[in-house]
Amino acid sequence: MEKLMETVLLMLEGTQITLEIFFITLIMALPLGLMASLARISQLKPLSLLMEFYIWIMRGTPLMLQLLFVYFALPMIGIRLPDIAAALLSFTLNYAAYFAEIFRAGIQSIDRGQYEAAKTLGMTYGQTMRRIVIPQMIRRVLPPISNETINLVKDTSLVYILAMNDLLRVARTIVQREFDMTPFMVAAVFYLAMTFVLTWIFKKLEAHYGKYDM
Amino acid sequence: MENMICEDNVILRIHQLHKHFGSLQVLKGIDLEVHKGEVVAVIGPSGSGKSTMLRCLNRLEIIDGGSIEIKGEFLASENEVGRATYASTAKARELLSCMGMVFQQFNLFPHMTVLENLLEAPIQVKKRNKDEILPEVEELLRKVGLFDKRDAYPSRLSGGQQQRVAIARALAMKPDIMLFDEPTSALDPELTGEVLKTMRALALEHMTMVVVTHEMAFAREAANRVIFMADGNIIEQGAPQPFFAAPKEERTIAFLKNML
Repeated sequence: MEKLMETVLLMLEGTQITLEIFFITLIMALPLGLMASLARISQLKPLSLLMEFYIWIMRGTPLMLQLLFVYFALPMIGIRLPDIAAALLSFTLNYAAYFAEIFRAGIQSIDRGQYEAAKTLGMTYGQTMRRIVIPQMIRRVLPPISNETINLVKDTSLVYILAMNDLLRVARTIVQREFDMTPFMVAAVFYLAMTFVLTWIFKKLEAHYGKYDM
Repeated sequence: MENMICEDNVILRIHQLHKHFGSLQVLKGIDLEVHKGEVVAVIGPSGSGKSTMLRCLNRLEIIDGGSIEIKGEFLASENEVGRATYASTAKARELLSCMGMVFQQFNLFPHMTVLENLLEAPIQVKKRNKDEILPEVEELLRKVGLFDKRDAYPSRLSGGQQQRVAIARALAMKPDIMLFDEPTSALDPELTGEVLKTMRALALEHMTMVVVTHEMAFAREAANRVIFMADGNIIEQGAPQPFFAAPKEERTIAFLKNML
């Protein structure tokens, strides 16, 4: 029992790293993704093409490879980032690309009549997006965003490759030292608890944003 | 120039309006003048270009040739080779602000309550503050008979109620001209009456209105002038009485026979 407590405490420390990467990535990638989606649907062809290229790179290569690239390849051109910054940079850029595509789909699903009504009322493109389109889009993209967010919880475990002691790496270290599988179970419970909370939050958000249709 | 227009009271003038979608010529040189306070009903078979003409007036469609003049100023003018060129964005925005539009599909903002739908443009576009315009906006809601629905979301309203909110929303911007694009076509027959009633009340207040419609009764009773369009042209027009009693053109006769 005492041993279990000790294991749990060690793993709580690992969970801190996991949560840190999770929250900071989410806070940075959501607005970045939104900006990328707006750039992607922009009438400015070069900007739109640039975003398409960025999204292709980010979705087309493994996140693991991106992590390794930022951590090991960037120092070769003189950019050396601390572990956590390297992880956050890769995660943010990667997730922003996925969010961008979700936002784009959401924006493009809004009826053309909404733009026309806003236009005939004299609203500018910026006002139309900010006040009319994006608030409606948020509700529609909540389910896929929830999906990606849950993926992010689990993807944080990739940082073990940078020797960061996140939840899963701590668990593995203890397993290898003690020849006891319990830490894996505990890790599973931790991940499940985190995704449970997220699922609950997104359910609340969906109810909040959905109050206007019925 | 401007004085002359004020004298003859023309608030909207389009000249040789041309519009095509790809190789399809939708408007083939429309000439039309609308006077202040006039109610113009535009009728015609589907595909005749009547909705497109209306959408050209407020730049939802970009015209290819001809000119559009609003209150004596050019929204679009014709250059030497007959191509239409538009006024600057700022100028266009100013001219278009005097036109309100009501759509077939209502196009209310679903994430806003009825009251918020009406407040949105005056606050965002005209930078008015909420307390200042609230009385006016509530008055408009009373006028369309929906004051008690002010805190409801559009999804809670019937089609007829939604369309009346849409009319009030357009009126909240205090337009000089109201454009209606088949305002009752998406409604159940028993709901068209309440919308037409609202529009009649507006006509009685001498609002300038251009109404694309299939409601012959409305055209006959509420309009000052009826315009019949077919194949991208205005075929015939006139005051409702003679127009419906004794149409001259064969196409008009055939169309009216089908409708009545």
